[in-house]
Amino acid sequence: MRWGMVIDLTKCIGCWACVMACKQEHFLPRGVFWARIAMAETGKFPRVTRQLLPTVCNHCQDAPCAKVCPTGATLLREDGIVYVDYDKCVGCRYCVIACPYQHRTFLSKIKEYNPGQGYTEFEIMGQQLYPLQKGTAVKCNFCMERIDKGSAKGLKPGKDREATPACVIACPTRARYFGNLDDEEDDVVRLIQQKKGFKLHPEFGTDPSAYYLYY
Amino acid sequence: MEIQQRPYEWMVKLTPQREWIEGRGIILLLAMYFGMGAGLYLISSFFDSLWGMLVGLLIVDLLFGGLHLAYLGRPLRFWRMILRPQTSWISRGLTFVLLLNVAGAIEMAMVYWQPQTGVYFTFKVLAMIFAVLTCIYTGFVMNYVRAIPFWNNGLLPVLIVVHEILGGFGIALIIAQIPGAKMDIIILDHGARLLLVISALLLTIYLWSNTYSMQPGPESVKALLRGPKSFSLPFWIGVVLLGIILPLIISWISYDAREIASPLLFGGIVCELIGGLALRYCLMKSAFYAPLLPL
Repeated sequence: MRWGMVIDLTKCIGCWACVMACKQEHFLPRGVFWARIAMAETGKFPRVTRQLLPTVCNHCQDAPCAKVCPTGATLLREDGIVYVDYDKCVGCRYCVIACPYQHRTFLSKIKEYNPGQGYTEFEIMGQQLYPLQKGTAVKCNFCMERIDKGSAKGLKPGKDREATPACVIACPTRARYFGNLDDEEDDVVRLIQQKKGFKLHPEFGTDPSAYYLYY
Repeated sequence: MEIQQRPYEWMVKLTPQREWIEGRGIILLLAMYFGMGAGLYLISSFFDSLWGMLVGLLIVDLLFGGLHLAYLGRPLRFWRMILRPQTSWISRGLTFVLLLNVAGAIEMAMVYWQPQTGVYFTFKVLAMIFAVLTCIYTGFVMNYVRAIPFWNNGLLPVLIVVHEILGGFGIALIIAQIPGAKMDIIILDHGARLLLVISALLLTIYLWSNTYSMQPGPESVKALLRGPKSFSLPFWIGVVLLGIILPLIISWISYDAREIASPLLFGGIVCELIGGLALRYCLMKSAFYAPLLPL
């Protein structure tokens, strides 16, 4: 079992729904993004192209962030999800430095959305429901709580909404797919094979679990 | 290739590492710089200088270790950092520092009470090994990061070790002025001169070899040599002028005159120490990640 994500770049319209869904799901404070969209303009007028690259943590199977962690706070689960145990993290930021995709954030403080006006009720509730710890490194966890809860109910991640990561569900163009990379019958594996899915920066040898399609 | 200036250029242009250089990152930069305490310990142990060993250990514990602790987001959990020496260089570094303290304290006690005994020699060798390993640690912490090709160069740990020992020579030359410090100024002066030349050569080869490394390694070199002022000024003024040229000139004068005036010597040492700090700053500042876009 290895959970993975496939992102179809030809379908992405850059609406940021995935970014917002992720922030809402995990009650992420201001300035912290677990899902991001990189945007670049290439070419010169009148032939200008805008490139969009929606990203999440790649949940690398040879994760440099997990290797460098001096406390063992970054762990690789059996299902391929790389997550952070906040209770063990000392905040040395070595993992932030080691990630070639720059998908980790050091949470120096939990910033309020309305600066100087204190936390809103929503933010206070978020801190209770999804307690992130100040002074630790945070990152996308493929919504592992949803996967675990859904799987316990017999639901299938990637197929059933309740067991699927929030960014995948929120995508209005269905540019994101989630599934088991070890299952030859799964949609994600079929898509990767048929549409020649590729990984970001394979030269770093991290073996990411996020694939991209561009056809 | 351009360097990221604005948040929305994240991983679209060359994205510099910020955690270990900006904001509180300066604390870590200083912490790594004070790895020279281990270099000082190594030199002092060679001379059996109690003063030097004591100052060396104090620098390692209070400045090197203390600043590392101050940088942590959760410093009270620092003990957990010793748990993963099999994969993490930070764990190894902490282990080396702890072992250096134990072996160093026993060596100092032996130098004071029972010099020239078997136990003394054993702990002297052990302390020297752990001092070298502590010097090595900083270089390997950076070198292990494959995501930053500028650091992922085999010469980086060597360059940093040489600079840590060179910094140790600088402080040892100051301590040698204290009566009873038991350190030979002439040997220290020769040693510092030799290491200065070696470090200048190493730096040149390191930068040259990086021009052939994976992108954005060559861009890091370009940024240092002829990039924006925030990159090139610390390099040319701090590393090259203060860290290499001025100490070399002073060193040459002292070699030629067979003796050196104290103010000039101190001036040379200060330049050399500033040069060492500037080198670490440049290494941290010009560490770039390869962009994800354009594909």
